Amino acid sequence: MSHNQLDSLIRMVNQIAANNGAYQTEEAAQRVASHIQRFWARSMKTLIMDYYHEGGEDLSPIARLAVAQLAQPKEAIS
Amino acid sequence: MRVETFNPDKDYGTPASVSETLVTIEVDGVEVTVPDGTSVMRAAAQADINIPKLCATDSLESFGSCRLCAVQIEGHRGYPASCTTTVYDGMKVTTQNEKLGKLRRNVMELYISDHPLDCLTCPANGNCELQDMAGDVGLREVRYGYSGENHLDSEKDESNPYFSFDPSKCIVCSRCVRACEETQGTFALTIDGRGFDSKVSAGQNEAFMDSECVSCGACVQACPTSTLMEKSIIDMGQPEHSVITTCAYCGVGCSFKAEMKGDKVVNMVPYKGGDANHGHSCVKGRFAFGYATHKDRIKSPMIRNAINEPWQEVSWEEAYAFAAEKLKGIQAKYGRDSVGGITSSRCTNEEAYLVQKLVRTAFGNNNTDTCARVCHSPTGYGLKVTMGESAGTQNFDSVMKSDVIVVIGANPTDAHPVFGSMMRRRLREGAELIVADPRHIDLLKSPHLKKAQHLALKPGTNVALINAIAHVVVTEGLEDQAFVEKRCDMDSYNAWREFIKQDRHSPESVEAVTGVAAEAIRRAAITYAKAENGAIYYGLGVTEHSQGSTMVMGIANLAMATGNIGREGVGVNPLRGQNNVQGSCDMGSFPHELPGYQHVSNAEARAHFEQVWGVPIDDEPGLRIPNMFDSAIAGSFKALYVQGEDIAQSDPGTQHVETALRALECLIVQDLFLNETAKFAHVLLPGSSFLEKNGTFTNAERRINRVRKVMPAVAGKEDWEITMDLSNALGYPMHYNHPSEIMDEIASLTPTFTGVNYQRLDELGSIQWPCNDDNPVGMPTMHVDDFPIGKGRFSVTEYVATDEKTNSRFPLLLTTGRILSQYNVGAQTRRTNNQVWHDEDRLDLHPHDAEVRGIKEDDWVGITSRAGQTVLRARITDKVLPGVVYTTFHHPGSGANVITTDSSDWATNCPEYKVTAVQVERVSQPSEWQQNFRSFEALQLKLLQGKTQTQTEAEAK
Repeated sequence: MSHNQLDSLIRMVNQIAANNGAYQTEEAAQRVASHIQRFWARSMKTLIMDYYHEGGEDLSPIARLAVAQLAQPKEAIS
Repeated sequence: MRVETFNPDKDYGTPASVSETLVTIEVDGVEVTVPDGTSVMRAAAQADINIPKLCATDSLESFGSCRLCAVQIEGHRGYPASCTTTVYDGMKVTTQNEKLGKLRRNVMELYISDHPLDCLTCPANGNCELQDMAGDVGLREVRYGYSGENHLDSEKDESNPYFSFDPSKCIVCSRCVRACEETQGTFALTIDGRGFDSKVSAGQNEAFMDSECVSCGACVQACPTSTLMEKSIIDMGQPEHSVITTCAYCGVGCSFKAEMKGDKVVNMVPYKGGDANHGHSCVKGRFAFGYATHKDRIKSPMIRNAINEPWQEVSWEEAYAFAAEKLKGIQAKYGRDSVGGITSSRCTNEEAYLVQKLVRTAFGNNNTDTCARVCHSPTGYGLKVTMGESAGTQNFDSVMKSDVIVVIGANPTDAHPVFGSMMRRRLREGAELIVADPRHIDLLKSPHLKKAQHLALKPGTNVALINAIAHVVVTEGLEDQAFVEKRCDMDSYNAWREFIKQDRHSPESVEAVTGVAAEAIRRAAITYAKAENGAIYYGLGVTEHSQGSTMVMGIANLAMATGNIGREGVGVNPLRGQNNVQGSCDMGSFPHELPGYQHVSNAEARAHFEQVWGVPIDDEPGLRIPNMFDSAIAGSFKALYVQGEDIAQSDPGTQHVETALRALECLIVQDLFLNETAKFAHVLLPGSSFLEKNGTFTNAERRINRVRKVMPAVAGKEDWEITMDLSNALGYPMHYNHPSEIMDEIASLTPTFTGVNYQRLDELGSIQWPCNDDNPVGMPTMHVDDFPIGKGRFSVTEYVATDEKTNSRFPLLLTTGRILSQYNVGAQTRRTNNQVWHDEDRLDLHPHDAEVRGIKEDDWVGITSRAGQTVLRARITDKVLPGVVYTTFHHPGSGANVITTDSSDWATNCPEYKVTAVQVERVSQPSEWQQNFRSFEALQLKLLQGKTQTQTEAEAK
């Protein structure tokens, strides 16, 4: 795992969370998770979920909730 | 009885009338029915009765100066000019009789008495209206002789690289002056002097190159003699056939007649039948086509094992086999997802479609992306979320019905010049202009602009501004409640309304953030909201930000809240940068979407493609371009196929991009030239220019236009053929005989394209998608009755300041952009005479910022950001605000993207080119990157000649 690549992903997910910050925490996290589900490649999701499982200390609170949701079964997005 | 028809190849003398009231007249005994307000000349032309004319042409308002078009009208005295006389019901016109013939011959005699009689050696010979009219009126003698006072010794102006001005041949009909005013809107030409001394003058009696002339060619097009003449025609003679095709420069998508002599392009003439440009052009499309035959063109496939090895010319088959073996080996070693491809917005729809198809089938993953990633990906995201379709809502002509035109982060007169001219025409008619831009763009200097507001906001504060404008609309009760209730999702609307009316979004609250006075924001908001028709146009100054997508959604919110959607004159209009940005996105180039914006997780859509393509499609998105770079550096991404893009020059953080490209084990570049990316490549496949292939482009108004082959491909293959061959070499069979077959496949898989085929395109000229059973001829205005998602959805648009902040170390904000004469990375325009206008990228800075740093005009200055440093020459100008500096990125050695950072849009990773914190100081030598760039470039050019690195180093010593 490259540190730069992971740093990039952490920054990305935190940025997505910040841009959904106007919503209530639960809805914000759901929106962030949905966004990642729709737009991130499988390898990127795996990297960020691994990081979360290792503690994910640099994830913002909303980002942390969102990454936790990624582990749940996905639904098709039309 | 005849009714109004339109033949783009015919000159009707005066513009069409838009009146819906019809009037019937009789011309030489023939009844003609035309709209009220039509000129007698045009009405006659409708009946194929062609009245002689010189000062009239149907692209310009009638002028009535040459008197050649005189007619007789029953019940009227004298001989009125048919161009300035409009029809009335029952009018009876005579266009030919003895008196009229004599009158016209007298007029022609006067013209010819002061005109060189060198027709046989004149470059306009065979295509000269003066010559034609002399023939038409039966001129046989000039009784005045030729020895009197005349203009035959007038000096030629050869200053412009593309056309000459020979005043000795001028008949002072004013068509050039009027074209510059009415068609282009620059007002660079005038008639200087009076009476016999009258002459056409550029600027204040200046050479064309020293005047405000923008070399659009409108004057040359309008000239009825050889006074203003293309130098290519002077050199090569008149063309013998022509082919209608589409310009490959910006997103306006102008139609052109490629005028040919055999397989050589003599001239590119804007096509009057073009629905996007209506016969107008800019300096790029009109004149800058010479790159297609430039000596730098790559003419043979080439391969090498490492980037420090010489290139080896090989056959196409060897190149494909080499590439396929590398790709398959890499996938076998590193996995299916270790390779990917990038489509180009400069290539055709069919070519983009094939590249993403190759990635999804032959590669077996979704690692496909496009250069739209770095320009308008936020448009696709933001408009899809709010209005359900990743596209602008209007056609270009819609602006002619706008009362208030809002331009945000766009510079139409430079980047979309032909549409910029149309916009200027509407502004001259009285529409009000609101510009939100850190720079004082040229649109604000439009001649005869009546009302304009400039919101000179700080870079990076777009969302704060749009929120403040929306706050005013909501709190002042300026919403279109009927529209919102009927057309929009009320839950999303109510949530947005509660958000936006909070006091923290008021103009007064954000004044310090945006740098725009609260009163100015209020005034702009009220102006837009109260307009009968308010239209918003935006460009990369909206999208290329860390909140690009949020800003697009903010714009859509504002348009929906004020009911400015669903009719002509209004709408949300992204001005796309390159010629086929819209098309490359439509064609499924993004890693999460199949063609037609169908998400890869959509099982039903996937099944449709799987059935036609015969392979399973990954249901997970692939890597975006910046993710590809990160993965390459991390070691998991090993091979890339790039068609027609120069990511090494155009993408941000050049050192990062170069590191990623060096990390690849196989880089395949398909391009016209050895571009910056190709210098890191292992396989170079010579591509074809737009003149060398068939296909389609889709412009910023969703208009699908045909690209037609006018000359053989320089290297022997059109780009779609190369992709097809590569796919076959990889073991995934593709077989198409012509791009029309690719379009048929696209239509079968893309719901918005089901009615599109080449036959219909030829019949209709162009089609604005969606084109299907519901919209068989396309859709000029979207969302008239409903949105593709049913109701419009408001989005909450929280302003989040960019991380790219100024501080004492980096106190200035750099923003980047483009200029009129150059195009994107300059690969095409740098290889034309457009270089005379812009042969280097400069750094614009405000006089105050220059003074405190001791910087003078032309000084070399180092620009340092958190990402890197580059050196440019300074240009001191008050076009930029204090604290803001600006540069272009048209020249690779400038290293503009060495200093741009990896900050990007939160939703799409579109780079934040428009905001980079920098310091600027005087320096005496190029930056370290620039020195490395020069030596690497020198090495790669030697390797291109087949020389080894050792030979090159020995020569250098």
